[in-house]
This record gives sequence, C-alpha cells and structure tokens, in this order.
Amino acid sequence: MRSDLKRHINYLKAKGAMYADVRWYPYEETNTIYLYNGNLKALNSSRQSGLGVRVLYKGAWGFSASSDLSNLGGVFDQALDNARIAAERVTFPIRLAEKDALTATFTSPNRIDPFCVPLDEKVAWLKQMDKQLNGKGVTNRLVWMDFTRKQIIYIDSEGSEIEKNIIEAFPGMQVMGVDNDGIMQSRKYLPPRLGDTRGYETMDTELFSTQAERLVRELNELLVAPPCPKDRRSVILLPGIMYLQTHETIGHPLELDRILGYELSFAGGSFVRLEDFGKLRYGSPKLTARANAIEPNTPGSYGYDDDGVPAQNNLLIDKGILVGAITGRQMVEEANAKAHSQIFKGSSGANRATAFYRVPIERMTNINIDPGTDGTLEDIVGQTEKGVILDGDKSWSIGSNREQFHFATDIGWEVEDGKVKGVVKNATYKGPTLEFYNALSAVGDERTWQMCYVDNCGKGAPNQIMQLGHGVPVCRFDNVIVGE
Amino acid sequence: MANRVIKLLQKLREYGLKKKLDLIISYHEEDSRLMRFANSAISLNTNEQLINLDIQVWDGRKRASYSMIVDPADLNAMKKGIDTAAEMVRHAEPLSYEPTFPDFKEDVIDQRSFNRGLSRLSNAERLAYFNKVAKGLESEDLKLAGIFSNGITITAQINTHSPYVQYFSSTDANVTAVISSESLKWEVIALQSAQKKTDLKPALLNRELKLLVRYYQKAKPVRLPLGKYKVVFGPAATGDVVNLLGRWVGTGEAMKRGYSFLTPDMIGTQVLSPQFSLQDNPNRPETYGLSHDQTGLKREPFPIFTEGVFKQFSWAQDEADEYGEKATGHEVPHYSLEIAAGTMSCPDLKALIAMPRDEDILYIPYIHYMNLVNPGKGLLTGSSRFGALLLKKNGRVQVPYNVRLTQSFYDFFGERVEWMSQERVVHDTSSSYGKRNPEAVLVPRFLCVKDIEISHSNTSY
Repeated sequence: MRSDLKRHINYLKAKGAMYADVRWYPYEETNTIYLYNGNLKALNSSRQSGLGVRVLYKGAWGFSASSDLSNLGGVFDQALDNARIAAERVTFPIRLAEKDALTATFTSPNRIDPFCVPLDEKVAWLKQMDKQLNGKGVTNRLVWMDFTRKQIIYIDSEGSEIEKNIIEAFPGMQVMGVDNDGIMQSRKYLPPRLGDTRGYETMDTELFSTQAERLVRELNELLVAPPCPKDRRSVILLPGIMYLQTHETIGHPLELDRILGYELSFAGGSFVRLEDFGKLRYGSPKLTARANAIEPNTPGSYGYDDDGVPAQNNLLIDKGILVGAITGRQMVEEANAKAHSQIFKGSSGANRATAFYRVPIERMTNINIDPGTDGTLEDIVGQTEKGVILDGDKSWSIGSNREQFHFATDIGWEVEDGKVKGVVKNATYKGPTLEFYNALSAVGDERTWQMCYVDNCGKGAPNQIMQLGHGVPVCRFDNVIVGE
Repeated sequence: MANRVIKLLQKLREYGLKKKLDLIISYHEEDSRLMRFANSAISLNTNEQLINLDIQVWDGRKRASYSMIVDPADLNAMKKGIDTAAEMVRHAEPLSYEPTFPDFKEDVIDQRSFNRGLSRLSNAERLAYFNKVAKGLESEDLKLAGIFSNGITITAQINTHSPYVQYFSSTDANVTAVISSESLKWEVIALQSAQKKTDLKPALLNRELKLLVRYYQKAKPVRLPLGKYKVVFGPAATGDVVNLLGRWVGTGEAMKRGYSFLTPDMIGTQVLSPQFSLQDNPNRPETYGLSHDQTGLKREPFPIFTEGVFKQFSWAQDEADEYGEKATGHEVPHYSLEIAAGTMSCPDLKALIAMPRDEDILYIPYIHYMNLVNPGKGLLTGSSRFGALLLKKNGRVQVPYNVRLTQSFYDFFGERVEWMSQERVVHDTSSSYGKRNPEAVLVPRFLCVKDIEISHSNTSY
C-alpha cells in the first residue's frame, strides 16, 4: 500500500502539483460505554479506514477523501481536479514553510491498551462508579469511558514518511439534582492527566471513588445554596474552569489561521493582529502561556503534525507579552509575507486533521499556563478580600473575535476576608479578554497545576472535532463582573 | 441508487437471520463537497465520499452497536462488523426498561428532498455562483470569505424483524458569504439554503451584501449604551434560537434530564406569544422532512406551540420507553421545524430599513456562539455578529459594535413579540461535525421583539 501511495504522489507531481501528501488510516477504532442512571445506554464500538489526499496546484489546495480503497487513482485525480478549480481564484499563492524530510514513528505512551481490556471488566468498573454516585439528592447520574486507537501513515512529496500509533482514554462522570428553586444543578469530574502515560491504566478506581464521593457532597451543598451575588469581585478559577478560559480566550485567538481571516465565515476571527506579536500586553506579568505538544500524557501531544513537522514546546505569552501563535507551514509563510518581517521562524507543528476525511488546519496542542509563585489555593484565598472560587464548565459563549466572553460554572464558593463563606449556585462571570488577563493577580504554584483534557474542540469548515490538553494552575483575576 | 443500497442491506439482513440475531442496520452514504473561500481566494476545495454502517444487535433488554466507515465492495468486513456487535451484546447489561424494537410495516422510499439538478452541481458552477455573489464587492480592503457546502445524503434502515426497508435521499446546499474589511475588522454576512438547484439565487446575496457594505463603509460605528432595545432579529438569529427550542428544549428527554424550562404542567397553557406557532413539519422537502422515523413510525405535522400554547413534548423512542411515554416519531437525525408566518409585510432588509418607525430599532441578523446559561430558566446568551444595524427613529442608520444578549426563550418568543414577517425563509442549521445531515428551519424573514436587554456592549465589531 505504501508504495502505491508513493507512486500516486509521484503521478500528481508529474501532473504539475507543487506538493502533495496523503494520510492513510489503516484503522481508527473507538469504544464508548456509558451508564445513565444505571442503564447501559451505550455499548458502542467503531472502526473506520480510508485515506485523504491533499494537493497544492498553482498556489491552491485541493483535497479528496474516500473510504473506498479500490479506486486509489480516482481519489488522487479528484484532489487534483479540486485544486485546479481552486487555482482559478487565488489572491495569495500558497507557499509552505521549510521543513526537514523525515522518516519517523510516534507511539503514544501507554501501559495497558484499552482495546485489550475485556468489555465485562469495563462495564463492571462503570457499574461500581455508578453505585457510588447513586447517593442522596442525586436524580440523574452519568458515568462513561471513551477510548480511541488509531494508526496514521503520512507520506508527502518532499520525502517524509511518518507512522503514528495513538491511543487515548476519555473517562468522566456527572451527577445532577434539583435545587430548592426547582432548577437542575450538576457536578462533573473529568480527571486530570496524572502520570506519564495515557492508556487504560489511567482509569484509577481509587481516584474515581474519592471523586465520586466529592461530587455527591458538593451537589448536595449546591441544592440548598444561595445564588451567586451580582457584583464586581475577584474570581479564583480552579483548573476545572481555568482550562476552558485558557482554551477559549488564549488558545483560539492565537490560532494563526483565525488571525489571518481563514475562519471568518464560521468560527470567527481574532482580536490579535500580526503587528501585535512581540508588543501586545496580553495579560499581567504573572501570565506565561505556552503551546506544549511534547507533554507525554495528553491528547495534545502527537509526535508529528499532519504537515509532517515535529511537535514542539513554544511560548505564546511571556510574562504577559504576546510572543507566539499556533501555526502550520502555510500560515507562517503567509503571515511573514503580509507583515513584511519574519514574525514566525517556521511552523510550530500544530496543523492537524481530525480524521482521514478532513484537511489539516491549525489546532491547539496543549495550551498551558505556567505555574506561578502564589502558593496553594488556600494561600490565594487567604489573600483575597472579596471573591468567589469557581469550578466546572456549565456554559460558555465567546465573542466572534474572542474579545469578550461569558461563562457559567457548575459551582462557586463565596470568599470574604480571606475565608471561604460557603457554596453559591448559578454562578456566571464575564468580561473583555485583555482587561481580564491584565487583571490576573495571583497564579498558584505547581501544587495547583493540573493537565486537563478537551475531547470536543470544534473548528473549521468542514467542521472538525479535535482532542487536546490544557495544563493550568489556580488563577485569580480581580474586579470581574459576576452574577447569577 | 436505491436498488444498490437496498440489495446490500438485504444481504446483510440475510446474514443476520442466518445467525439468528435481532439486528438493526442503519446505512448512511454521503457525497459531500465544500468550497471554502477566505481572503477572496478559494482557500480549500474538498470532497468526501463516505459510507457508514451502524449495526445494532439486541438480546432482549441488552443492546450493543458497532459503527463502521466501510469500503462498499468489502461485504466480508460488514459481516465481520455484525459478528463484532453480536459478540459485544453478550457483555452488555440489561436495561431497566423494555426497549421497543423497530417495526417496519412497509417499504418506504422517500426521495422528496432529492433534486437531480443540485446533485450534479459541478465545481465550475459553484465557483460561478460565488463570483456572482461577490460581484462588485471586493477591493484591496474588502475581502470575500464563505463556504459553498453541498452534497447528497442517503440513509436507509433494515432489521431482522421485518422484511421491509426504509430509504431516504436528499440534496442540499448551504451557502455562507461574508464580506470583511481587513482594516476595520468588520464582517457582514448573507446566507442561502438550497434543497434544489433553482433555490440558488446569488443575486439575492449580492444585493443584501451590497446594502450592508454601503452602511458599514460609510456609517460611523457606535458603542451602544446598555439597556433595553426594540430588536429585529434576522432569520439566522431566529432560526438558531428556535432550533434550540424545538430540537432540544422541547423534547421529553431534555425535560426529564433537567435541561428544559418547559414542564408537563405547562401543556395546554399559554407559555409564549399568541403570535408564535411552531411545529415539526415532515411534509416540507426544503427542510428535509422525513416521512418515517427510524423505528418505522409515520411522521405527521407535530405542533409544539400553537398561538403560544405549549402543545406537547416530542419523544424519541428510547426515551419514551425509558420514561413510559408514547413515542412521537422523533427517532430522527433532524427535525423539520417551521414558525408560522406573521402578519407584517417586510420581505427584505431594504424594506425593513425603509419601514417607518417611532423608536430606534436594533437589527441583529446573527447570534454568535449561543449557549444555554441556565437551562431550567430557559436562559441563553450570545453576541451579535455579521451586519447588525441601528435603525434610528429619524430614519438614519448607524452601525453598532457587537453586543451581548443574555435572555430567556420567554424574552424572544413571549409577550414582548411585536410582529413577525409574512414572508418566510429557510435557514440552514446543519452541523457538519459528524455525518452529513442536512437540517433547516423555516422562519419569518424578521422577528421584532421589544425590551431585549443588552447586557454587555463592546468596542469592536
């Protein structure tokens, strides 16, 4: 098969293609199991196989994908035809940043392949957790595990040939109950990434049991809690919401394709402009953010991106100043040309596709906030006069250029004079992005830092869902509008 | 096409019968094409031809499923998929309720939403369409962006309890055209949904974009003071809110799981404006209506609100089984929602701008990134985007920066509704995150609501 693919790539080159690559997925498998109120609502597996061909012709992309491998030539021809028509409307001929030709293999670290664990064992594990969630005050409970295993063969016309073998696990659990106003409240647990691997061994029974108890306890506190006050105060974001804040207001605005207008008709643009790199004060000096795709244990680490560029660890925001973006080969060339300066020194290796039938685009890797020096959560609370601790993503809505946001959280704890007063419900907070990050007044140390995962990041046309990570500490922001 | 699919499904059914399985097979085939524009160029031109099989095996109250993207020539792989699902069900746990196995009483071939002309649309025709949309609009500063997404979708179902097959096919196109200013960072939008080739009218989009661009280039932008406004929503804004209401909040599942402000005791009572009627109408091909659901239930027009009175929750089969309710034919990949036409004649943006008014009106064509803040209270939030206008009572038109609305369904469709257009348009609400699933709502061209609260006002478009 690989030699056939190389032959077809050579054929495209002979037909005038400037560049071509193919991603062949011999297999991509999933296994999803969930219990809802004790009922095994889903016991699903899936398998898919196919290939996607990307062709650059006269400065324009064409792409074609198929699950029908009996007609390889047809898929390559169609990709070239698609590029030919695209070449009729070119305003900035696409160029690709330099990279090394690589022959390489990446295997995600794992000790236990979840696809080798018997279904009976998985179902029994979920039932055990469900039993623990079935406590006082709980009206609905949900516990799930979701696994993927895939092999990707990447070959391009520049001589690269890369094989990736990736396994991921996405478990979680949630409880819901009706509060004294008749409104449903909920708490959920998406486990942070612990250890250096990402196989079935991450399904830590003891850890989940402890967390199940906590969820039920916190839900019961929510059911009788007063609403969150409506005013301006400090918000102390725990990793369970800080990860999403980072995702929506640092990750997405720093995707270079968004900055260059490639998402304008769908997900939106970015308030960041090319002239902002190296100058814009994005946040207070306590804010350092990076795109780190070489952490071992998260889905934002993948070895090589779908341009064939090695994954990297790059600064995005350095002590509050914007210094980097999430980039692929095409966008860095275009950005540098438009800015008439070399803002970006090559691709950051973040061009990824969600499946063989989608084209790679700039995607977040692990967009992390560096731990700070302000101690533990208790230390930060102790130095907070009037605030609210927030955790759990309930809803999120962000401006089209990511310039403002509105989040609702599952739970809050009111803080007064350095002490936690009690739980509040229906908490929301909102604000303008830059004002918010410039009001960052405390960043917890490594003891508060957690690597969280996202398994449903949507972007692109046609749409793509991507998996990634966010390593974040506890952070405090001052003078924020909060409310019910 | 139908024969090829039906023959394949019958072969797989025979295999299931031979293995004595309670087997359900759902077939999905798509030929998807997407031409994406950015910075006035075609930034991507794609096509995907994919065939999905969802295989379910039941054993009494136990169920397991196996999904595959298949090579259509590889029948053995599909049979292996059935074997895998059959093996998996041995490890399943029985449900606490009795699930209803699909019951097909006849063969169903529903191709009302298929249009030969649209199915054969070429690359060259799509480019020509977009060139017409953009005619006279692009410049050094003004750039074209957008998508032309079109495709053919075939779905079919068979099972081992009955010999019949259900087969559905449709064609769809979803066009988004955006003109943006590189220097000022504004964007204006025009949208079109097409189920047949003759629905494609690039001149309409060109006219609307030209009108918006004229205001956006000339008018000085304003940051709106916080407070209450009379707002006219465009079809995208109305369509997205009503889709959330009908497709999710109005389901029995959402009610039972705490994601709805609607309760059983509201049935038969006045909940929203007497001007507001919403139904799921499977008889409309332009919203890709399906004659039967996946359990074989024949689908009929299904009122959700009639003149503001809440009529009923919709129930998919599995949730109906779980909660002891009667299924309503909603085991479907999409609804076909329509809001009844209003009484005001206001067919397009030009007419809206020209309409006499005794107070300022904020026109919001599109709500960006909408999400439910508090489902139990029906509270949702989102930001204005893509061509909002402030129509001053003195007849002048201003361009507002974006604003955030955090309002409930009562605020959108309740007693504050002033008027709705007689004219209705189809708004495409498809999501292409998964398999192609064309979905659209039929809504009044404009919805006018008073006292909509602006909770956050920005300093950028």
